[in-house]
Amino acid sequence: MSASIVIFLFIAVLGAGFFALNVQRLVRYMRLGGSDDRTGEPFTRLKNVLTIGIAQTKIFRDPVAGAMHATIFWGFLVITAGTIEIFIQGVFPGFSYALFLPRPVFQVYAASQDAFAVLVLAAVAFALYRRLVLHPKRLEGDKLEHTDALIILSMIGGLMVTLLVTNACRAIGDPSAIGAERFASTALAAALAPMLSHPAAVGATSWWLHVLLVLAFLNYLPYSKHLHVATSLINVYLSNTSGPGQKGVMRPMDLEADVDHFGAADVEHLTWKNLLDGYSCTECGRCTAACPANITGKPLSPRKIVINTRQRLMEKAPLVTGDWMELLHRALVHGEGGDAAPTTAEAILGEHRLLDTYISEAELWACTSCRACVQECPVSIDQLEIINELRRYLVLTESRFPEEIQPAFESLERNGSPWAFSPSDRARWADGMDIPTMAEAFERGERPDVLFWVGCMGSFDDRAKKITVAFARILKACGIKFAILGQEEHCHGDPARRMGNEYLYQMLAKDTIGTLDRYEVKTIVTSCPHCFHQLGNEFPALGGNYEVIHHSTFIERLLEENRVPLQTDDGKRLTVAYHDSCYLGRYNDVYDAPRETLKRALPVVELLEPKRSRDRGLCCGAGGGRMWMEERTGKRINVERTEELLATGAEAIAVACPFCMTMIGDGVRAAESDVPVLDISEIVASRL
Amino acid sequence: MAQVLVFAETRGTSPRKAGLEAVTAARQLADATGGGEVHAFVAGPPGVGGVAEVLGQHGADVVVIVEHAGMATSNREVVAATLAARAKVGSYRAVLLPFSAQGREVGPQVAAKLDAPIVSDATEIKAAGDTLVVTHPAYANKVIATLEVTAPLAVVSLRPSAIAAAASPRTARTETMAPAIDPSAAKVAVKEVIEGGRGKLDLGEAPVIVAGGRGLKAAENFRLLEDLAAAFGNAAVGATRAVTDDGWRPHSDQIGQTGRQVSPQLYVAAGISGAIQHLAGMRTSRTIVAINKDKEAPIFKVADYGIVGDVLEIVPALTAAVRDAKARH
Amino acid sequence: MKIAVCIKRTPDSESRFRIAASSTAIDEAGLKFDIDDFASYAVEVALQLNEKQGPGETVAIAVGPDSVQETLRKAMSMGADRAVQLKTDAVPVDGLAVAKALAAELSAGGFDLVLFGKHAFDTAAGVVGTATAELMGIPCVTAATKLDIANGRGTARREIEGAAEIVEFALPAAVTIDEGIARPRYPSLKGIMAAKKKPLETKPAQLGPVRVRVKSMALPPERPAGRIIGEGAAAVPELVRLLQTEAKVL
Repeated sequence: MSASIVIFLFIAVLGAGFFALNVQRLVRYMRLGGSDDRTGEPFTRLKNVLTIGIAQTKIFRDPVAGAMHATIFWGFLVITAGTIEIFIQGVFPGFSYALFLPRPVFQVYAASQDAFAVLVLAAVAFALYRRLVLHPKRLEGDKLEHTDALIILSMIGGLMVTLLVTNACRAIGDPSAIGAERFASTALAAALAPMLSHPAAVGATSWWLHVLLVLAFLNYLPYSKHLHVATSLINVYLSNTSGPGQKGVMRPMDLEADVDHFGAADVEHLTWKNLLDGYSCTECGRCTAACPANITGKPLSPRKIVINTRQRLMEKAPLVTGDWMELLHRALVHGEGGDAAPTTAEAILGEHRLLDTYISEAELWACTSCRACVQECPVSIDQLEIINELRRYLVLTESRFPEEIQPAFESLERNGSPWAFSPSDRARWADGMDIPTMAEAFERGERPDVLFWVGCMGSFDDRAKKITVAFARILKACGIKFAILGQEEHCHGDPARRMGNEYLYQMLAKDTIGTLDRYEVKTIVTSCPHCFHQLGNEFPALGGNYEVIHHSTFIERLLEENRVPLQTDDGKRLTVAYHDSCYLGRYNDVYDAPRETLKRALPVVELLEPKRSRDRGLCCGAGGGRMWMEERTGKRINVERTEELLATGAEAIAVACPFCMTMIGDGVRAAESDVPVLDISEIVASRL
Repeated sequence: MAQVLVFAETRGTSPRKAGLEAVTAARQLADATGGGEVHAFVAGPPGVGGVAEVLGQHGADVVVIVEHAGMATSNREVVAATLAARAKVGSYRAVLLPFSAQGREVGPQVAAKLDAPIVSDATEIKAAGDTLVVTHPAYANKVIATLEVTAPLAVVSLRPSAIAAAASPRTARTETMAPAIDPSAAKVAVKEVIEGGRGKLDLGEAPVIVAGGRGLKAAENFRLLEDLAAAFGNAAVGATRAVTDDGWRPHSDQIGQTGRQVSPQLYVAAGISGAIQHLAGMRTSRTIVAINKDKEAPIFKVADYGIVGDVLEIVPALTAAVRDAKARH
Repeated sequence: MKIAVCIKRTPDSESRFRIAASSTAIDEAGLKFDIDDFASYAVEVALQLNEKQGPGETVAIAVGPDSVQETLRKAMSMGADRAVQLKTDAVPVDGLAVAKALAAELSAGGFDLVLFGKHAFDTAAGVVGTATAELMGIPCVTAATKLDIANGRGTARREIEGAAEIVEFALPAAVTIDEGIARPRYPSLKGIMAAKKKPLETKPAQLGPVRVRVKSMALPPERPAGRIIGEGAAAVPELVRLLQTEAKVL
């Protein structure tokens, strides 16, 4: 065994060993988090890895940066095969895949190595240009680490150069060793040959440099935000943000548990998965760039939430786990919002915690729960889950929240609606419409096919009542056998849940399930996306299983079956801009039904899309309980959104949610415009 | 024949309207039970006895006068102790008093001292044999309760303005009485009287609220509402969330679910469409007036009286009319 | 300080009331009951005083049937340390009878301060607090909108018609609390869980003789439906006339 092989083996084992030690340390930190079973449905998870991970579908939502990143990523995958070959050569000099691969296959492999080496070099050059010259806004966060990115990009560039140079030098020494398919290497060899007097020595040096760079890269990762290189595919596999399971469902809570806290105030109150999210964040800022709160100048940045989670873990975990390898992880500890300067161990274990020290109350309450951040994340991080857990702690453990939501909590508890209206007025909208309640239907021995869940906005808000009446008229015109709960309906608790009050939520939800089950309800239609999401997606965890259909889908089906007796004169031509509701769209992937409904109801409709639409749609500002909170900082979200909608020049704005109706309606008034805001059901009902 | 003792509340040396109303109520009760005497009780600084004549005009047969220099400011303990002492020596069917800030405290104190049952905030009193039948709006006026009081002596406080003061002229005899306790020995001492109460009327207390919405078009137009509030004299100015969010008015002026929840006697909504958030904060007002250009605006659904039209034109007209009405009053 | 807070359980004020078949009570079916608003202000004031002044005890006391236990737990979930139920089948409308039961309990309790709501939403009489203080022979401030305690003495503000008074008194004393003084805290789940384990003592209420009874209850006449009385400034004289003659608010 030659000396170089011994040295190589020594360095390789040392490098791999040190990396393994770091991995084991990071896993130990991560296990401070609570349990969360992510083992089920491996095929769905694998599918996510293939689409979101390997095919980079989320990355491509930004086409330019997406192409750049995908090139580097795919290059990384392809060239890893070459790196393995090179490492084997370290032990068995002269090893080559050509020894056992059929020649055409080897040629494809060899060509791909060179092709990607060149592509990656180009991508790295562009990435450097972008960071150093273009300065895109989303990469320019507060205190973001730039040196880290430059180091990583240089290493990647170095790997490509050494790969090409190594092969080029081999080609100079023995032209038969490198085939023509290695076009870049042979071209480089031709260019270098006149300049190099000792191509073999240069080749060997380049080979060693490549090996050392690979090991350095590997061991630099655990000290860098580029840890995502190692964790993101794992994170995508273990994430639930694109399934398995329904998207956007909040984690169930055991309120009877004998614990000293509810929700999360520090990293060990979160789950290991939330902590893995911290490792996986590469601070790309796509989440923050899509956040309606951040866009309009509020203190919330979803990226900061995730970075803070990692920072706090890195601050606290070494002390808790008694880690002797506690080293400086500059890039992991610093970054956006890393204001908690390292202090004494007592402070770190004492007054420091994730909530307050890192993440302020104001950030948490600014969230509209619109899910835009989760939708954008290329590595399937769930920023919203961390926000929700911290909100739960604020409300359930410390009773801290904006004072203006207390009336909403109290009214939910006393009146069964977030607004202080008398429960006995709930069905007033139906006066004179001859709509039976479930109780009346049962008394007559009837079993309605469908329950129309009206919701609190639809019951009490004067504008939303018109939506309720419009939808009820459609149901009647189509001869649907339906009933309402009347005074027996009360809020299912979703607003309380979104505002962190799980206790109030479960109380209201369980009571609602009792009522629905008493009337043997199987199918529910509702005009409110929040009710739709809650009843359909979150009730099952509490034992309430119903088929819940949003009115946009229900009306679309009726139109498709030609059951809606529409007037045929379509003299009215109308251009309409449709505003996507978050809880319909990003939470439930209902994008087409409301659009189809509009098109079918108005055959001459021209549907215009605002700047942000479908799964990129901007929230109206009412979600996450924001409807009941003040909006004192920055621009009003509904104004921002309404401006986008008005900019389409449409004659009318269509919505499919009573909350969006209020917010966009207010926005239109603020803009002193007289463009009508209509619910899709109103547009259909106007042609009955 | 029942005699009735009534606390004729004064401020300084002047009678209060609520005190005169109580005397009228006492007169009516005494007449209804066979025309017994009404003994009016006044307590205050020297000179307060001067109200005897006007009390006689309202039907007092006897005016019991308690004058003491230590009673320049209201001294509830002295009033309660002396009133109770007087009630013990006469043979009275009832002790009446206004349900005023002072009466709210004096009534239960007198009742406890006499061990007599008390009914507060009555709008009507009738005698039926051994019992008094008293009407009292309860549950924030959502329920009218008729109560029966069975006792030889009962204390009843009367809701101000429920019974109109009426003339029943006679020349009242006067009697003087010394305070039952030394005013300087009161357990609760008044250290300071701040005239004008809370300075600017608080939204939670003002009997009239004039509120504006985006329909006012600009921050400076709130001056019109300030003028209207000034014309009412007892009004505060409020605003909707949209207006406070836009910084036209301070956040403390916001009425609605996320602001103040109010229920004044009169609520004037100017240029307010009536979003759910706003209605949740003012729906329980006793009388609601809405002024809005859009006749479909939801505010008209809750309003008792509505005027459709331009707020900037109607509000000044209303200010002038209110000022006029107040001047004639 | 050792503070007692006397609280009442009342139906939600937003409710639409119906009269029970007996016609002497409201129909309680479907109504949500909770701690009375004014009583909750009193609880908040007590908690804040004890938080500010260091170690103390806040005791919630209520007269009523077993349903008031839920209300007492609510006060404890806000932070009261323990609770006492003075048990009776029903709370009489005779405030003095109730005051006697409370005075009997409180006199032996050694409290520095006894707090009440200014009145309760249901009877809206404002008798119990002031009468209890009188029976106990301690100073009473009725309808306070501010309250400070320092060195065994209290300072309070009470609103009178068109003015306000600042008053002083020595402890022990009773104060009935008006609105605007403090916003009652919202109990955390942690507080709700803790309240389940706090002591709640039940003893019979020693009510005084009941001499005030409900003869009947009725609903006031329905508010007439709103109407649009006209357009533009021309409608103003008619509005003013209606405000004077019909609504009687001018």
